[in-house]
Amino acid sequence: MTPAGPKGTTAQKAAPGTKGQMGPKAGRREVVRAPRRAARPVATSPVAGDLDKQDSYARSLIASLMRAQMGVTLSTLLPAAAIVLAYPLLAVLAPSLGTDHVLGVPLSLVILGGAIYPPIVLLGLWYVRRTERVEQRFVELFRDRD
Amino acid sequence: MSNPATVGAIVAVTVVTGVIGARGVRVARTPADFLVAARRVPPFLNASAISGEYLSAASFLGIAGLAMLDGLGALWYAVGYAGGYLVLLATIAAPLRRFGTYTIPEFAEGRLESARLRRATMVMVLVICGFYLLPQLKGAGITLQAALGGPYWLGVVTLGAVVTVGIASGGMKGITVVQAFQFWLKLTAIAVPVLFLLLYFHHPAFGSLRGEAPPSFAAATTVKFPDAEQVDVQAPVTVQAYGVVGGVHRHGPLLLAAGSTNVGAGASLRFPAGSKAPTLTSAVLLSSSEWESPLVRINGVADHPLAATYGVVLATFLGALGLPHILVRFYTNPDGAAARKTTTVVLLFLACFYVFPAIFAALGRLDAPQLYATGQTDSVVLVLPRLVGTGALGAALAALTAGGAFAAFLSTSSGLLISMSGALSHDLMGRGVRAFRTSALASGLVATVCGLVVAGDSINVLVGWAFAIAASSLCPLLLLGIWWPALTWKGALAGLLLGGGVASLAVVATMLGAGKSGWPAVLLGEPAILGVPLAFLTMVGVSKLTRSSLPVNVTAKLLALHLPEAVRPT
Repeated sequence: MTPAGPKGTTAQKAAPGTKGQMGPKAGRREVVRAPRRAARPVATSPVAGDLDKQDSYARSLIASLMRAQMGVTLSTLLPAAAIVLAYPLLAVLAPSLGTDHVLGVPLSLVILGGAIYPPIVLLGLWYVRRTERVEQRFVELFRDRD
Repeated sequence: MSNPATVGAIVAVTVVTGVIGARGVRVARTPADFLVAARRVPPFLNASAISGEYLSAASFLGIAGLAMLDGLGALWYAVGYAGGYLVLLATIAAPLRRFGTYTIPEFAEGRLESARLRRATMVMVLVICGFYLLPQLKGAGITLQAALGGPYWLGVVTLGAVVTVGIASGGMKGITVVQAFQFWLKLTAIAVPVLFLLLYFHHPAFGSLRGEAPPSFAAATTVKFPDAEQVDVQAPVTVQAYGVVGGVHRHGPLLLAAGSTNVGAGASLRFPAGSKAPTLTSAVLLSSSEWESPLVRINGVADHPLAATYGVVLATFLGALGLPHILVRFYTNPDGAAARKTTTVVLLFLACFYVFPAIFAALGRLDAPQLYATGQTDSVVLVLPRLVGTGALGAALAALTAGGAFAAFLSTSSGLLISMSGALSHDLMGRGVRAFRTSALASGLVATVCGLVVAGDSINVLVGWAFAIAASSLCPLLLLGIWWPALTWKGALAGLLLGGGVASLAVVATMLGAGKSGWPAVLLGEPAILGVPLAFLTMVGVSKLTRSSLPVNVTAKLLALHLPEAVRPT
């Protein structure tokens, strides 16, 4: 499967290339036509072409995909935000948290200089696994339909 | 002071970068060419390149310097610089790659169909990159100062000239391999000296961090003052003074009374072992418990520390989403899934890297307290390695960190200058290589001149401001553009100008000296606190009022952003 390479090429060549040869005035006229150009690669696909014709179906489909993805995003970022926002708050409420030492090293140095990173990296790995599963399910749904 | 090994390392890094970069001239004329050439970069190499371009003077020198000066709370900058990639990963990495536009102005126009929005975005790109460029130049200034003992402007002008000429002549493009090499060089250059320093000073596990401020000299230490300063000592101490001290030219022992003394430019004082380190009269003195607090201080003052900390967190975690020179690199991923993998690896690399500046900050407080007296804490990463022995080892380690530091300035500032010249030449001067060159020369010249006047600002604070402006302008544009179908170009434009404008004005006001303490200092010094909510609310509010200017085919845009490659046209 050759994923996005060719699509990327068309989008990228079409956008800046054509506009460059014209003056700024013509550039503005170009903008009005831009939607078609951007949509064309999508329309040539049998699958996505289908989507184009049934706009309401496409809309609900993309909305459900985005909802699922946003769920994964929020369940990744909310725990991260909780960690990051809670530590300063705790340090204000219980100042000893800021000045305690672990084996002679200041606790704040242990946390901000290292211990805070593993949870963040693990959340990232967890996000990738789950978001890929969402996409996998979406693709299977599509194939089953055809 | 001059160290031939250090100079050699700096020259070597510059020449290697230039030579590898110049080989890419034929294939890399404009950013578009460079990106087409490098479209299929595997995630590991691409992640090295992104980290290489990302780790700037702020990461290499600034964090350690600021944490040494203002306390461990400054490490929140490091946490945010790395953690921003978690936000980037979970919100925009794959959709941005799938959409296929490779600069933020192009994304803005492609998603919302407005040339006006595109131009406004371009202006924000210039503002953010410009602010980001200044601390890189300052970093070069103090690196050459530490290596050669020369004036500050020498390094600024050298880096400015090398990068500007390099980019204008078509060389030194952000070739992936160069950037990747520079990441591993930077990681080595900061990690190896830390290991030697920990062995050499064999601290009883930092236990000596406890105790009264200011820290004291473990061994007899000469403190050289490049600029005239007012210096405080806590207790009377007999020093060897050379140069103008207290208005009199000295050459020999001198009893400094407790209190403030005027020290002339170029003078040096040799303090005996065990004596308390002197401090700048103008600087705030932190006790150990103050220094160890995990909350952000602004200019050393803990006014509303929780708000200040949240301000830094907001700016850094969201600012990483709006850095033009970094987002360009995501286009070199083959597809959305690869973009995610790359981002995860970047996150891992950065998490490893940022352990070391934290150690440098703690070692600096213990072993190089003279930097407090001369106001040069930003050069702690450069100064400490030289203290490892007096012989070849110290010189070699100092050369390694100086080379790594220069790699940091070169990679980041060339990435920034390419983004600036690309944006400028595209929208203001017509396309083509000539316009690109003129833009590169103009932006490089302006930035170099500005770089000369920021000598007094902390490197890390300057970069933090660039992040705050990005978080208040381009970040909301990308987040809402990708996830909110109802965004209109008018809403995006209003939010961009209001959020970005307020954040930029706050930064300029702070640089000019407004907001010394209390809430004004927090709100102006950490402009993301106001700018981020303002930008989001304006974009949403104005979009709801201007539904008529929605692009006609929002669904097609959302499909282009979110549809997995497997169900896309091949």
